[in-house]
Amino acid sequence: MKVSKETKSKIQKKLHQSSDIKTRSVQFFGTNVDLMYIADITDTLLMNNSLVYPMVSFKAGETDDVVKELKDKVLSNHEVNEFSSEQEAIDGMLKGMTIILVDGADKILGCDMEKITTRAVMEPPTSVVIKGPREGFTESIKYNFALIRKRVKTNDLVIKTLEIGELTKTEVGIVYFSSVADKKIVDEITKRLSEIKIDGVLDAHYLISYLQRNKHSLFKQIGDVEKPDILVGKMLEGRVGILVDGSPIVLTLPFVLIEDLQNSDDYYSQPIRVGFVRILRLIGVIFAIILPGVYVSLEIYHYKILPTKFLVTIMNTTQGIPFSPFVEILFLVLLFEILYEANLRMPQYFGMAMSIVGALILGETTVNAGLVSPPAVMIVALSGITFYIIPSQAAQFSILRLCAIVIGACLGLYGMLIFCVFVLSYLSNFDSYKSAYLAPTAPYIANDQQDLFERANIADMKKRPKSISNNRKNSVRRGKDDSQS
Amino acid sequence: MTLKVNFRQLSILVFMSFIALKFLALPSLLYLDSKNMSWMVALALMIIDGLYVFLILDLMKKSNHHNILDFMKATLGQVMARVFLVLLMLKYALVIANISKGLEFFVVENFYEKMNWVVFVLPLLLLTGFMAYKGVRNIARVSEIICWAIIFGCIYIAVKSLMGVEPLNFLPLFDEGVAPLFKSGFHHLSWFGSCTFMFMLFGKVDFSRKKLGQMIKYIVFSILLVMLIYFIFFGLFDVTAPIHTFAISDISQFSSGHSSIDELSWLVVSLWVTAQAVQLALYSYCMVETIKALFNVRSNTFPIIAVLLYIFMWSFVGEMTVGLEKVFLSPYASIVTLIAQYVLPWLMLIGYATMGKIKRQKFNDSPQQENVPEEKPRVRAKAVKNEET
Repeated sequence: MKVSKETKSKIQKKLHQSSDIKTRSVQFFGTNVDLMYIADITDTLLMNNSLVYPMVSFKAGETDDVVKELKDKVLSNHEVNEFSSEQEAIDGMLKGMTIILVDGADKILGCDMEKITTRAVMEPPTSVVIKGPREGFTESIKYNFALIRKRVKTNDLVIKTLEIGELTKTEVGIVYFSSVADKKIVDEITKRLSEIKIDGVLDAHYLISYLQRNKHSLFKQIGDVEKPDILVGKMLEGRVGILVDGSPIVLTLPFVLIEDLQNSDDYYSQPIRVGFVRILRLIGVIFAIILPGVYVSLEIYHYKILPTKFLVTIMNTTQGIPFSPFVEILFLVLLFEILYEANLRMPQYFGMAMSIVGALILGETTVNAGLVSPPAVMIVALSGITFYIIPSQAAQFSILRLCAIVIGACLGLYGMLIFCVFVLSYLSNFDSYKSAYLAPTAPYIANDQQDLFERANIADMKKRPKSISNNRKNSVRRGKDDSQS
Repeated sequence: MTLKVNFRQLSILVFMSFIALKFLALPSLLYLDSKNMSWMVALALMIIDGLYVFLILDLMKKSNHHNILDFMKATLGQVMARVFLVLLMLKYALVIANISKGLEFFVVENFYEKMNWVVFVLPLLLLTGFMAYKGVRNIARVSEIICWAIIFGCIYIAVKSLMGVEPLNFLPLFDEGVAPLFKSGFHHLSWFGSCTFMFMLFGKVDFSRKKLGQMIKYIVFSILLVMLIYFIFFGLFDVTAPIHTFAISDISQFSSGHSSIDELSWLVVSLWVTAQAVQLALYSYCMVETIKALFNVRSNTFPIIAVLLYIFMWSFVGEMTVGLEKVFLSPYASIVTLIAQYVLPWLMLIGYATMGKIKRQKFNDSPQQENVPEEKPRVRAKAVKNEET
């Protein structure tokens, strides 16, 4: 390919004469050099200072090889890419490169002048900690790589990138520790990602359905993190992280259910307190899912098994309610879901007003009007609050809660028990990239009990978890010298 | 990851199987025959069952990852293998009938004033079908989770009721000699033989981390737990024991001192339903495997449907006593258990010992059964279609 005046017009034509495509012409060693770039994604100040100004101010003599002079004298501080076709040059431009068309040259040159526009590194709203690092991932994959690199100073850290999306050509990164991660899992993830055929990837969640094995399952099969310290922690256990340009969410694989009961705060707090909090979280999860269903079944079928005093209290408060306990609870649950959805989507300044309307006006008034009973409100409120102990699973819990209510109303406590065993059985059957979903409980893994309901001291957690498929040859967390002592 | 169960999971399955049928109608039925020596019958038969676990484990190891049919064919011959397989199927069918009927009456008596069991059996069938389809690893994992809740529940009930126990209720011992013990033991043999399910786990147990100590602990613990509950049951109820149909729920009601089940006891009693449901799934799985082996069926679907229909059929038998007296307490049922559990392992052992070196070598060298489930042809076809498009 010979670069000529036509090359420029060809490129412009291929880009449909888009208005944000800018060109500048500069004379260098008496030869016309055209610079082409996309205005909004190119750092024009950098381009002017490091490319245009040196070219213009260069005292030109005579030369046979303008391209060589350009590379040596002007672009010596830059990584120079060479493109042998217009399409390659366009692809470079779309990634923020400024392409340099030197008349008569064999190749088109390109320099990375990308202007990275992203928000500042902030604490993500879903992973707030009391003590511990507050840095969260941003939408820029490059910044995110830097945040990981900042914490990991080893040549074991591997960052591989792929391009996914026919139109968006989104950069997707796979990060892992070569000495810790299971190579087969890395290969499988890479294979699955490279086989994706899609026109665009706008967020990490787009990749989930391609990576999870059970596509139609209600349950989450892939972990997601928003903070580099959590990601590195997971990678140290053998997991693989998947970053997507434009998304602050990093996917992690393999995933086990217990991960969602753990919080980054846990590792920065006293172990005794952590054990207590984790048990509370588990109880919270159980409350969130089955409490309304159990209430309905007790009210409809099994009021006799309630202690007498408790039964009398319930009877007094539910007297005169026109609806059955099932309708009552269902109404409140749906009301709660609607309020939640509305609160989530409406502008922040409406939030307070919404809370007042929801909690005071709707809640108080429906009770006073005798439409619902106070115990039902209390049960749904308790279930609703405990939902968000594990916010990443709230959507799944919400569906399970509805199922539990319907089953409780139709079959009573017996149905609820069968439902619970069914859910356990369903989850027991899941495997996420060679890791059992309910591990280390089922199957029981003795080594991993140190980070289940109790958290051992960091100093005592000598081995990597076996629940996660990782490199077994490197199972000891500490170095040889330390472990020998 | 293999689809085998590990040794710990096997120990838990044995534990669950040892206690599952013992806390329902058995104590009151035992009392009818052997009065205040009933606990001795249970103790003796449980110890025998415990010893048989190790015999079956030894056979499992000798089977060298072959399934039960292959092993029986090699040790007992083609015809006898099928005959014994039929006997095993009958044993599983008996246990399934006992669990499903027992569960029905347990639930009705404790939780509902009136219920249509035909409707109520449907969720149970769904669960059983699902778990049996997913296989023994799934059942083992669920057992791993719920067994702790059940253990704590039993201990809670036992500790709460312990104060009312009258130790003198156990005396006098042997006032009618030892004959009632043997009579009662044989009569209720079908309630024991708790390790017959292990036959269907030949080739499905991972022996790489075999810890016999762990198995012994679980067996001893199950015997102690059963004895503790029996001690409380007979100590509390004495001559009224026969009218207390369900030991686990009746003990807790007694402890509360009034007609309704008190604070946490109902939770414990309801947990027992989960134990029964998982046991039903385990024995259904065993029956499915037997049908598959007997009729050379590879697919799970039809054997599961057959087993579910069998369970469903039992919901039309109105009275529990009819079911129990006609089927479970008949001498035929005891004979089936006697042969399937207590005679068959010895026959296999003798068969293996007399196999001869060459035949044994040939058996060991023959291809082992696959543990990876067959890929569904439909899925594969779809994948090919996708590739083409």
